[in-house]
Formats: sequence, structure tokens, C-alpha cells
Amino acid sequence: MSERNGARYVVATDVGGTCTDAVLFAAGEPVRLGKALSTPPDFADGVLAAVAAAAEGMGIATDALLAETGLFVHGSTVVDNTLLTRTGASTGLITTEGFEDTLTITRGAYGRWAGLTEDGIKHPVATDRAPALVPGTRTRGVPERVDYKGAVLRPLDEDAVRAAICALVEDAGVDALAVSFLWSFYNDAHERRVGDLIREIAPSVYVTLSSEIAPVPGEYERASTTVINAYAGRIARDYVTTLQGLLKARGYDGPLLVMQGYGGLLPAEEAAGRAVGMLECGPAAGVIGSRHLGQLMEDDDIIACDMGGTTFKVGVIQGGAIEYAREPMVDRYHYVAPKIEVVSIGAGGGSIVALDPVTGVPGVGPASAGARPGPVCYGLGGTEPTLTDVMLLVGYMDPGTFLGGTITLDAQAARHAFEEKVARPLAMSVEEAAIGIYRIAAAQITDLIHEITVERGLDPRDFVLHAFGGSCGLLCGVFGAELGVKRIVVPHTAAVNAAFGLLAADIVHEYSVTRTLPADSPAEEINAIYAPMVERARAQLAAEGFTGDAIALDWSVDLRYGRQVHEVTTPVADGGPMDDAAVAWLAADFEALYERKFGKGSAYRAAGMEMTMFRLSARGLVERPPIERSPPGDGDPAPALIGRRDIFVEAAGALAPADIYDFERLAPGNVVTGPAVIHTPITTIVLQAGQAGRMDAYRNIVIELG
Amino acid sequence: MDPITFSIIRHRLFRVIDEAVITLKHVSGSAITNEGHDLMVSLYRADGSLLMGGVGFLHHLTSAAEACKAVIRRFEGDIGEGDVFLTNCPYTAALHTSDIYLVAPIHHDGRLVAWSACFVHVYDIGAMVPGGFSPDSRDIFTEGFSSPGIKLVEGDTMRRDVMDTLLNMVRAPEMVALDLSSMIAANNVARERMVALIEKYGAEPVDEACAALVDQSETLFRKRLQELPDGRWEARQYFDIEGETCRVLLAMTKEGDELTFDFTGSSPQSHYGINCTYWASWGGFFAPLFPLLCYDITWNDGVLRPISMIAPEGSVVNCTRPAPVSLATVGAIQSVNNAACTCIAKMLSASEAYAKEATAVWHGSHFAIFMFGLNQRRQEAIGILTETFGGAGGARTWADGIDVGGEIPNPIGRMANVETTEATFPVRYLFRRARPDTGGPGRWRGGNGIEFALVQHDSPEGGINYVVSGKGTEFSMSEGLGGGYAGAPCAYRWVHNNRAREDGRNVNPFPTSLDEMTGEAETISWGVFPLKGDDALYVRSDGGGGFGDPLEREPARVQADVQAGAVSAEVAARVYGVVTTAGGVDEDATRARREALRQARLATPVAAE
Repeated sequence: MSERNGARYVVATDVGGTCTDAVLFAAGEPVRLGKALSTPPDFADGVLAAVAAAAEGMGIATDALLAETGLFVHGSTVVDNTLLTRTGASTGLITTEGFEDTLTITRGAYGRWAGLTEDGIKHPVATDRAPALVPGTRTRGVPERVDYKGAVLRPLDEDAVRAAICALVEDAGVDALAVSFLWSFYNDAHERRVGDLIREIAPSVYVTLSSEIAPVPGEYERASTTVINAYAGRIARDYVTTLQGLLKARGYDGPLLVMQGYGGLLPAEEAAGRAVGMLECGPAAGVIGSRHLGQLMEDDDIIACDMGGTTFKVGVIQGGAIEYAREPMVDRYHYVAPKIEVVSIGAGGGSIVALDPVTGVPGVGPASAGARPGPVCYGLGGTEPTLTDVMLLVGYMDPGTFLGGTITLDAQAARHAFEEKVARPLAMSVEEAAIGIYRIAAAQITDLIHEITVERGLDPRDFVLHAFGGSCGLLCGVFGAELGVKRIVVPHTAAVNAAFGLLAADIVHEYSVTRTLPADSPAEEINAIYAPMVERARAQLAAEGFTGDAIALDWSVDLRYGRQVHEVTTPVADGGPMDDAAVAWLAADFEALYERKFGKGSAYRAAGMEMTMFRLSARGLVERPPIERSPPGDGDPAPALIGRRDIFVEAAGALAPADIYDFERLAPGNVVTGPAVIHTPITTIVLQAGQAGRMDAYRNIVIELG
Repeated sequence: MDPITFSIIRHRLFRVIDEAVITLKHVSGSAITNEGHDLMVSLYRADGSLLMGGVGFLHHLTSAAEACKAVIRRFEGDIGEGDVFLTNCPYTAALHTSDIYLVAPIHHDGRLVAWSACFVHVYDIGAMVPGGFSPDSRDIFTEGFSSPGIKLVEGDTMRRDVMDTLLNMVRAPEMVALDLSSMIAANNVARERMVALIEKYGAEPVDEACAALVDQSETLFRKRLQELPDGRWEARQYFDIEGETCRVLLAMTKEGDELTFDFTGSSPQSHYGINCTYWASWGGFFAPLFPLLCYDITWNDGVLRPISMIAPEGSVVNCTRPAPVSLATVGAIQSVNNAACTCIAKMLSASEAYAKEATAVWHGSHFAIFMFGLNQRRQEAIGILTETFGGAGGARTWADGIDVGGEIPNPIGRMANVETTEATFPVRYLFRRARPDTGGPGRWRGGNGIEFALVQHDSPEGGINYVVSGKGTEFSMSEGLGGGYAGAPCAYRWVHNNRAREDGRNVNPFPTSLDEMTGEAETISWGVFPLKGDDALYVRSDGGGGFGDPLEREPARVQADVQAGAVSAEVAARVYGVVTTAGGVDEDATRARREALRQARLATPVAAE
């Protein structure tokens, strides 16, 4: 699939909780950025407003732009929002008789503590489950049973199914139904039959089958996923088709591609049926963007950080590969779908700085002042000091140039609130206390990144750090140095991370088959599992216009040691089909990956190895114009020097004079030496003493540490 | 101490433990560690006192401190950098032999600055019964390998002789080796990260911050105790094994800023392995104490300082060697947990400010079913059925208990999916659900427990064995609070479908309740049993305790429970006095029914004490 003839633009839009971002992009032209407020529940309005904002910079109307657009890529929080606001459909669940409580009892305490902070977990008396999306009263068990091999032990009782459908639709009034039977991922016949019966008896009801949306072991997570999809399904479908119609009406007749949580795009028609696929797609797009930037800069190992108003998010890219989450959740509901792992803590610019009421120990977040009322210095009514206020007090932010000068920051108010609520109770000066809070925030981020790299068996010293988001540039010089990363990159597109990532994504269809086989099984047996998947994938991609070299099929297999719970997704080195030598290589690769991730001596060979899941990732490579490179000039940043003021310099442990630069006036090749501050229209980059930031050909700021 | 540095060091100490726990789970890879979170990693100061307790099985936080102290005493002059010590002797520190502690000194610049300690429930320990829970053991000598302290790693080198000896005494030695490797790896990570912390902030500031952290907990905890009323609160727990009934009596006295736990009057030690040792009782009441009284205070030695315990020698809560203790964790320790939960909750509910923190007992019996035998792939399979971590929440003073909602001493346990268990063991579940009417009735209802039934499926030997460790079947161990009823007791049934088939009766292969099962249901509660042929095992766990008088429960809530299937209409009428109909509460009938129940109560003679 490539852009239509004469259609120059690629448009990417990302709908976040607060803002909708747009990125416009054409060969030979600078990248244009646009921002607008998100407009729930009719998010499409915000999408068009963001596109209009970006088009305005070019002096062109939205309709004219869309008429010249060849590809429209889109990511949205609409499904996350449906879950968070509990505005999905009245949903029912049909499941195996005898196991009706699977969803509501959440594997015991799991659903009670999952998603809580450590402080929350330590206070069990105050905890509860989130109310189930489908209460027990809208769950019906029907006689049927399949065993662990996929053998039918008890046939489906169709009369009972009909009665259950009638009871749920007519008496309980549901307008969406989830169907999830035990072991259906091995044998989906019963679920498919129930799907047919629902369409026959109640054709208007939205149906999701667990064997279609999440054909993986684990009945609780599978049922939960199915229910989430049914609950948000119609809203997601309507959203995508509405946006598609709206774009068409405004003159766009190219494809609409929708971002998935696993970092690939799906054509709108397919995305519309997979609501769970859209969950957390913004952060996923951010990681994809980071990987793309890494490819441009020839970095394979990246810690991708994004710090916005409320959270600090981290994703890890290792050897160019992205890690998927093992136990994803939305709000406090579990689901299973391939999703890029992005870990977050409640530390952002809007995070409230406060003293613990019991211990008096200062801390940052997780409570947030959000965008409204926001930090005290915004002057929008915020009274609690936030991390952004601290950044102002340590000299990192310039009251006059914030967000391109659109808001004048009220330093006096910030100082006053911080003194009263933090500094005085700590018996410290405002500067001392602000420096202290800054150090706490940097240390918490260091701890988080350290933990998630340990989780993967990695050493942060082997990595490049990407600092995205409005606030990351303020802290990355400190936590990057403590982690000992090789270098820090503050990307040019730091403030529209997710939208930028959409531009870098390909169409990706994920397929999987669950089957347990010994790791030394004959290659034909494995190839036979893949054959139908490959056929389906090729047909799907062909229908979307991909042929020949524009198709890439990646095979990977989950393996584990016998009697062990950890499974490792291991890529098939040369793709498929496999021969027996390739199967032996796969096992060897698994062992190497396992030891790398779980540590030396963790391998347990005595009980043998087994393959548990066969995955196919089918990519349709989307053609795009290359990003413009500017020729590097000399190293002298003097023309961009706009002033000098005192900022917190970590090595000095105090405020000290530093040079202040304007990002817009820097040219590629310029080297800024710390301590210094670089102000961009949206973000701020702080260079600590001894750090040198060079603007590269893509206008990224690169800080070498190693 | 500078509050900023203090805040940073404290946060980093938490993360040290987190990273060690991740490492432990990674290397271990076993279901009980990864699903059940049956593990613990904590940090200890140079003298072995608790510095920072992690979220794991909380009984162990204090017992591992005792393990550190025992090693310090036993190995004085012989504790070197890179050493790792093992102890699993219940008469030294451990709860039972299956729970192995690995304790490792942390040195900086050649000086011992701290300890890390962790435990997992190892795959096997060479006791009479595979997996370690041994109902037929009558002394510690038949409960497997047991060491009061041995050096497993010396200067970062594994002592092969010690390791080989240990592995020579257990079943599935490779699995046990992996368990031990996981703990060594966890200790290594804790050590590396502690040393990095000291190198960044300096030995003295870190030591100062650690001391301040312990002092801070003591100060805050004493302040909290001062805010609570003085008094003496009592609780009683019974547990029944094979016709023998044991009693744990607890009187908790609070005076000023000190607490005493007095177990005087508890039964003499039992013939069965449900006894527990002194340090197990000590850990047993700290397990609920930390989350109930110190939910916002760092769990460390500062919390221990205001507390004392009286536990009579030779009793079920302080047994004398060589009494058997292999089932202590689901036996006497559990009773100590429950009694302490009740006493603490009574104290909390006597305070207006803290009443919201009170709770009836959660998951009182901690029923446990251990399986062993060959699985469908002809592999040896030993392991606990993770429903034991399903639990049931006790009612709170402001909310119902949580159905199948876990337990207090292990804040982040969870049970495996049915599909996981069916893939691991040669069994098929007939049903698994929250069991209505098991939650203790009250103004706030206790959480319902779980019920499930199993038959063997595709077993190469025609079946598998299981261990049932009784208790809580005759007397509920999930006590209620403030007039709330106890949760329903546990039940175990061996359903003799094989015999039914021999008698020529049709056996229903797909019953979805105990009532639908065809064979005679024999009550069992203690011992090792086969699950063979068509026979079934039915298990019902106890519900959580209720809070307050059920006659004061809002009728609308009872109606909602009946509609949701959490309470039967019969119990609604008989116990709650609420008459429910399809259309809603019958208010007149309810008023009359509740009045009649109150009159009946007044007419009941009060039993003499």
C-alpha cells in the first residue's frame, strides 16, 4: 500500500486523554505539528481540529489538505475511555456450566490487588475489586465441556444455549454478548455454534467469541478480554466508521489505518471489530516512534521515556525488538492481547509535591493536579505545588517563554505555595527544598527504570535513552547519568511522541495458535500449524494491496522448560517454513534468551522443553517519504544564546549560573555545553555540568555520556 | 537526618526488595512461587533486626530476622563476604522444614553492613509425604531434611558437598536445586543493589537512614497505639484433627504504647504436625499486625519493639522438639493469625477514628490440598492446589468481605486458572465457583468461600494422590466481629463414584454441584487419599467472618445478595430475617420476621460461662 498518486501528505493523529496531536508530513517539506483539546465522547471533532491546527501553519484549509492526503493514520483512547468512564454496552456472558463465577472471582485476590500501588497492597482492608463489567446476574452457564487436549467431553446443549440467549437478551436486556468456554482456544466449535445461534435469535446483539478475540490459555483472562471487547465493541466500531465517514465527507478517499496496542496498524474495517486491540495504543505508538528514530540513528537498544502531565512511562527496545506485556490491564481489568509493554509511575509535571501526613517525609505524586487546575504557576486555580512548580523554582523554566509564550508562569505564586506547604514544614529554604524534591523525582525515575531493566535481565549501561514528552528533558540529564546510559536523545518530535510513532508504523496482523509440543518435534508438524495462518495472512494482506516485497512474515514460538511457568517468545531466525535444523536452532535460541532474561542458572533442562504457542506476525510495509535531513553546520551555538540565569546544577548541589538557548535558533551541528537550558516552544532541555548536547541532522539534541 | 536523602534511600530500599523478588520469581519458575507468591525477601540490619519487609508471606518477616540472628550467633567469626547460609529448622527460626531460608551477609569495604534473607516453599524436602505436608508424621525426624544453620555458599562459591547432601535427601532434586538457585540469585541482587546504594550515598548516611527508618516506625507505631484505647481483648480458635480438638487462646493487652500477646491457656502440643514453634507464633501474629495496624508505616524492627509475647512451652503455639510441625503454616500459625486478627480488630473497632480499619477474619482455615503422582505426560507432579490462595475476605465495619478475595497474611496471592491446573495435573474440574451462604452473616456479610470438585482425567496410573490437612471442618476458623457470625466451616468429601458404578448405578459424569453427584459422599479431613477411577474430590473452603448483627443488615442488600446468588432465600429469611420475593423485599413480612427472631433470641437461655 502506498500513497495515492498526487496525494502528497501523510497525516497522523493521536487522540490522548487531554490532547489530540496531529503530524503532517510530505517529501521535501518540514514536519508540521498540530495540537487541539480532545473532545470526548465525539473524539472525531478534536481530530479534525488538530489537523486544522497543523494545516494552518501551512496556510491551507483542512479540506484542501485532506484532498491531497494519501494516507491517514490514527490512534485513539476511545476504548480506554469507554472503560474508564464505564459507558460501554450492557453486556452478558455465556460460559461453561459450573464455571459461571470465573470472571467475578478474578482468580481470587488477583483482581483485588492487581493495579494497586505498593501502598495500596499493604492496606488490604481498604481494597476491593473493581465492579465486574458483567455481573453474575448477566452470566449464564450452559452444558458443554472440552478437555485440555481439545477433545469434546460433553456436547453443547443447544436448547440451553437458546434459553440463555433469550434470558439475557429479553429479560436482562443486554445488547452485547461475550462467549467464553473452557479450552475453546483448542476447540472453538462450541463457541462458533453459540455465535451462530445468537446471530439467528438476536441479530442486533454485538457478539464477541473468546476463541476469536483471545485464543490463548487461561479462562479468567480470556473471559475478561472477551467481555471488554463486547462491552466496548459497538462504541469502537461506531467510532471508526464515523471517523471514516467524516474524512470522506471532507474530501479524503484514501485508507484509514488504526493503531493497535501491539504497535501495528490495522485497516479501519478490521480494527472496528477488535476494540481491545486499540487499548493503550498511544504509548505503543510512542515506542514504535522511538524504535524508528533508533533505526535512523542506528541505535538498537533504547530506553524510551515519556513524561507528560501525570505519568512517567518507559518502554524498552532491545536489539531493535519490542517487548510485549505479559499481564496487561486496562483500568483494573485484565486482558490478553499482544500489547507493547509500557510501564508507568505517577510522576509527571502535574504530580503534586507533598509531605506524608503521617511521616512528614516529602514525596512526588501519584496524585496529580492534571491540566486543570494544573500547577500553581499556571495561574488556573491550582493551589498544590507540583513538579512543574519545582522546575520553575530551580530555574529550569522561563516564566516568559512557556508554551511559546502563550502562558506566563506565575513564579511568585509557585514560590509562595511551595514555601508554605513544603519548604517551611521541612525547615529548609525554598531553593534547598526545591532542589531536594527535584532529586527525589529523579531518583524515583532511576529506580523505576532500574527495576524494569532488571525485570528483563538487562543493564541500562548498554542503552540509549530517548526523552519524550513535555517534562522529560528537564530530568533526563540527571537520571540518565545515574543509570549510566550511553547517550541521551531528546527528539525533535518529543512533544508529539505518539503521533510521530504512528507515522513510523506498518500494517501488522497478529495470528497465533496455542498447542503444546515437545521442542524437538518434527519440522513438518510445526509447518502444518503455520500453513493455515500463513495462508490467511497472505490473503488478508493481498486484499489490502500488499504483494511481493511489501509483505514480511515473522514466525515466533513461545517455549518454556517443563514444569516451569516462564514462557519466552523466541523468533524463528530465518522465518518459515522450518526444517529440522531450524527447530534445533529455535530451541538453542530459546535457551540463550531464557538465561539472558531470567539469569544464569535459571534454565531447568531436566524436564525438557516444550513449545506452547505459535505466533505469526504478518506485516504490510507502508511506504513513506523519508524524513528531511539538514546538513550539519559548525559547532558554535552562539546565535541561539538568549540569556543567562541561575539554575540547579547537580554537581554543584546548588543553583549556579547557566547559559540559556533558544531551540528554534539552533542549527544542526551546534554543540551546547552544560550547565545550560534549551527552550523549545513546547519543552525544555536541561544539560548538566559536563554534558554537551549536539543538534543532529534531524534536529534532535544528542547528549553523549559513555 | 536530611529528609530528602532519607526519602530517596527509603524508596531505594523498597526497590532493592522488589528487584530481588523479581529475580527470585524469574529463576524459580515454579507455580507456587509465581502464582501463589509463596515467597519473601526482606532486608535486615547488621545485627539481624528487620530493616525493611517486602510484600510476601508476612509470617516470615520476623522469622527470617530470627534466622539472621541464629546465623550470627552460630557462625560468629566465620561470616565472610559472599557467604550464604541456609536454615530450615523450625526450632531455630523456620515455620516448617519445607520453607527454606537463605540468609546472606552484605559487606561494604570488608565490613558487615546488612543482611538479606529470603524464603520459598521448596518443591520437596524429603519428608514422609512428597511435597512436605505429612499428616502421618509424629515427630520432626520424619519431616525431612532440617538444618539449624549451614553454609551453602562460601565466598561466592557453592559448597558442592553441602548442596549434594541436601539434594540427595529430596525428591525431584533438580527442582529443589532451582528453588535454591532462585534464592541465591535474589540475595545476590539485594547485595549488589545495597552496595550500589552505599557507594552512591556513603556508608554512614545509609546506616543513619536505616536507623532513622527503624526509629521512625517505632515512633509512629507507638503514637498509633497511644491513640487507641487501652484494654484487653480475647479470641479463641479451635481446630479439629481426627477427633482431636486443639484450642488457641489469645489475650491481647494494650497499655499505653505497648502490646502484649498472651497465649496462656492454649492446648498442649498435638500428636499431629499442626503445632508451631515459638518464632512461628511470633511471626504468626505479626502477619496480620503489619497490614492492620501499620498499613502506612514501614514494616521493620521498630514495629517489633513495643510488643511482647507469652507462649507457654509445650503448647500447640510453642511446641517442644521433637514435636511434628510440617502442617504448622496451615495449622497453629493460621490460628494465631486469626486470633490476632480478631483481637486487633476488636481494639480498632473500639476507637472511633480507627473503626474503619477493623475486619473480621479472612480465610480462617487456609485449607490446603497437596497433590502428588504422575501427570498425563508421565511426569512426576507435586504441588499445592492454588485454590488455597483463593481465600475469602472478612467483613469490614463499612463494607462486605470480598468473595474469594484472598487473605491478610499474603497480600498478593492468587489462584491458578482451571486450565492451568488441568494442564499440570491429570485432573478435570467438575465446577469451581464462589459458594453461596458461606460468608459469615452480619450487618456486613463475610466474603463467600470457594467450592470445587475434581475427578482424575487421563491419568496414566488411573489416578493421583492428595493430602488433606483438615481443620476448620467442625468449627469455623473465620470468626465474625461485633456480633457478626463466623464464616461457614470447610468441607471435604470423597465421593465414591467407583463404588456407585460397582453397585450398577449410573454415575453422572458432569455434576455441577455436590447434590448432583451420584456416589456416596464420605466426609474426610485428614490424611493422604487417592483420586482414582470415577471417584471425585469435593472441597468447600470457609467463608470470611461477618460484622455486626445480620438482623441489622439493610434488607435491600440482602435482596441484592439473593438476586446475585450470593445468599439463598432460605438463609435470607432464617438468618437475616429478610423475606425476599422476585419483585423485591417483602417489607411487612421482613419486619415481622425480624421481630420474631429477636423475640426468639430473648427467649434463649444464656449459657453459663
